[in-house]
Amino acid sequence: MNHGTKNLALAGLDNDATLGENSSYLLASIVDSSDDVIISKNLNGIITSWNKAAERVFGYTAEEMVGRSILQLIPEELHPEEFEILKKLSAGERIDHYETVRMRKSGEKFPISVTISPIRDRTGQVIGGSKIGRDISDRKRLDNSRFRLATIVDSADDAIISKDLNGMIESWNQGAYRMFGYTSEEIVGSSMLRLIPKELHYEEDEILRKLRAGEKIDHYETTRLKKNGDLIDVSVTISPIRNNEGRVIGASKIARDISERKRMEKVLVQAEKLSATGRMAAAIAHEINNPLESLMNLIYLARQNCSQSSKAWQYLQTAESELERVSHIAKQTLGYYRDTGTPSEVYLHDLVENVLTIYQSKLLTSGISVHSNFNDLRKISVSRGEMLQVFSNIVANAIDAMRKGGKLTISLRKTLASEGEGIQTIIRDDGTGINQENLERIFEPFFTTKGDLGTGIGLWVTKQLVERRGGQIGVTSSTEPGKSGTSITIYIPFANPKISSISDVR
Amino acid sequence: MQDVGDTMLEIESGSVYFGDKTVRNIAEFLPRDTKSTDSQPARPRILIVDDERLIADTCAEILEGAGFDTRTAYNGWSGLDAMAKFKPDYLLTDVLMPDMNGVELAISVKKMFPATRIVLFSGQAGILEILHSGRERGYEFELLAKPIHPSKLIEALKTQPD
Repeated sequence: MNHGTKNLALAGLDNDATLGENSSYLLASIVDSSDDVIISKNLNGIITSWNKAAERVFGYTAEEMVGRSILQLIPEELHPEEFEILKKLSAGERIDHYETVRMRKSGEKFPISVTISPIRDRTGQVIGGSKIGRDISDRKRLDNSRFRLATIVDSADDAIISKDLNGMIESWNQGAYRMFGYTSEEIVGSSMLRLIPKELHYEEDEILRKLRAGEKIDHYETTRLKKNGDLIDVSVTISPIRNNEGRVIGASKIARDISERKRMEKVLVQAEKLSATGRMAAAIAHEINNPLESLMNLIYLARQNCSQSSKAWQYLQTAESELERVSHIAKQTLGYYRDTGTPSEVYLHDLVENVLTIYQSKLLTSGISVHSNFNDLRKISVSRGEMLQVFSNIVANAIDAMRKGGKLTISLRKTLASEGEGIQTIIRDDGTGINQENLERIFEPFFTTKGDLGTGIGLWVTKQLVERRGGQIGVTSSTEPGKSGTSITIYIPFANPKISSISDVR
Repeated sequence: MQDVGDTMLEIESGSVYFGDKTVRNIAEFLPRDTKSTDSQPARPRILIVDDERLIADTCAEILEGAGFDTRTAYNGWSGLDAMAKFKPDYLLTDVLMPDMNGVELAISVKKMFPATRIVLFSGQAGILEILHSGRERGYEFELLAKPIHPSKLIEALKTQPD
């Protein structure tokens, strides 16, 4: 170390006679060709030598700086530093890789790393200091951006993972932890296959093959496995990582959780399907209602025109009742039952009894007993026809569910729901029940559990009628033997809905 | 469950399939214009307007059979003409018709012949807005849905609205 210092002193001060001209020249040229700033100063902080790199970095020439105070290079707020340095130098101390800020001729401040060593004379007395400095703006910038990158990677919602060409995980960000549940410690070093469901393991071979060929995989949608065993829909982008020579040494993988998007897509598709079905149903009904009206009129007239005892009369009667069935479906499909009068004040239990009367013979022959508990106390304003439709659909379903007999329980009571007062109707059967996956769909149009016997329209219309009146309909069901049955709950508020509905228009 | 609604409603309303029993042979009343000189108590007069001629004509026959004196028109404008000439007690009109729809016709009739009982009937899903526009202008009309069984049509017309 001492040796070096001496050399520097020689190069800078050029007043030492112990070395020959040649070696002195050699040293000077080494100093000048150095990329590092090499400056010497005396103990008063006056610059005594200034190399080419110093010129480049600070922007001052040697002529400008030699003989001037080193303070000129130091931002004012850091001047105390220099006194500190000089104090240490005087004490013979060396300062290694000290990072600080200096100022260029332009006034620009920049980070620098300096090593300052005392310069001694032949007697060993400190007479000054040498400064070797390196402009570290670039390194600082790199450090900064590296830090920033790391922060970005860790704060990303996406999982960002790197792996080698054998599929071994090398890095794992916070997003990956949040997405998959493994901490970095748990998973770095293990195979990517841990994240892939068994049946999709082949994907990884394909991915690695592509990566080795330098190919990128963009927004590939697949399924991955979480630590807890759950599956997760992800969109992944996998890019090869290359070293300086351009050789692929691994891959970065960015995975985004798209479960929510997938779910939304499903909901949208479903909604789209439903509305398309509804539109189609309305369009069909529209096209057939007019011809149906004509047909109904014609058959009616034809029947009036022939003898009641004739065969033709019989045929026409059958034709008429078949036509009624078609009309009924057409009307149901359209979801309106407007021919049954304006809303009127009625007891809901009157309507329920009405429906029970209609089904009396069917209930009897099916061996179904009816238990009713009417406690609705108050009349409610509803469209009679619509509500009859609602109750008869549900009772008919209950009967269908109790082919081998059973018990039909109907209770009506006044309730205080959060939205206001209303009447709650519960219609319960102890029939076969509806299994869970079908339960979610029973209010969908054209969904039926009755095979060819069902139209899949009844409950869909029922729900529309109830909701149009501002009410709610819900269902619970069990298929567990011994406890099976279905319970439909309908809530109708006393207050009519504010939005204009069909009942309002009428 | 699909076949309960109508059956149920008929039981409830107590009507029979045949409506009025004083049925006459339809062939007799094809030239309807000759009806006005009947000496019996005046039959209620009804104008039926529908751009589907078959519906207008068959309804007319059915209602003739049920004791009405009927006229038909196949669009809104000629319906208005017929109103002026025929001065019926009832107007039964389709809703969705070209040129002048049933609600427009009904509103005009309401203004010019306020005593006329107006009944709309329609098989269309898209009539709610038309009805709504009438309602916003302060008009509300009875509405029957097509298809309607003739006996129920007759009953609806013979029953006074609330």
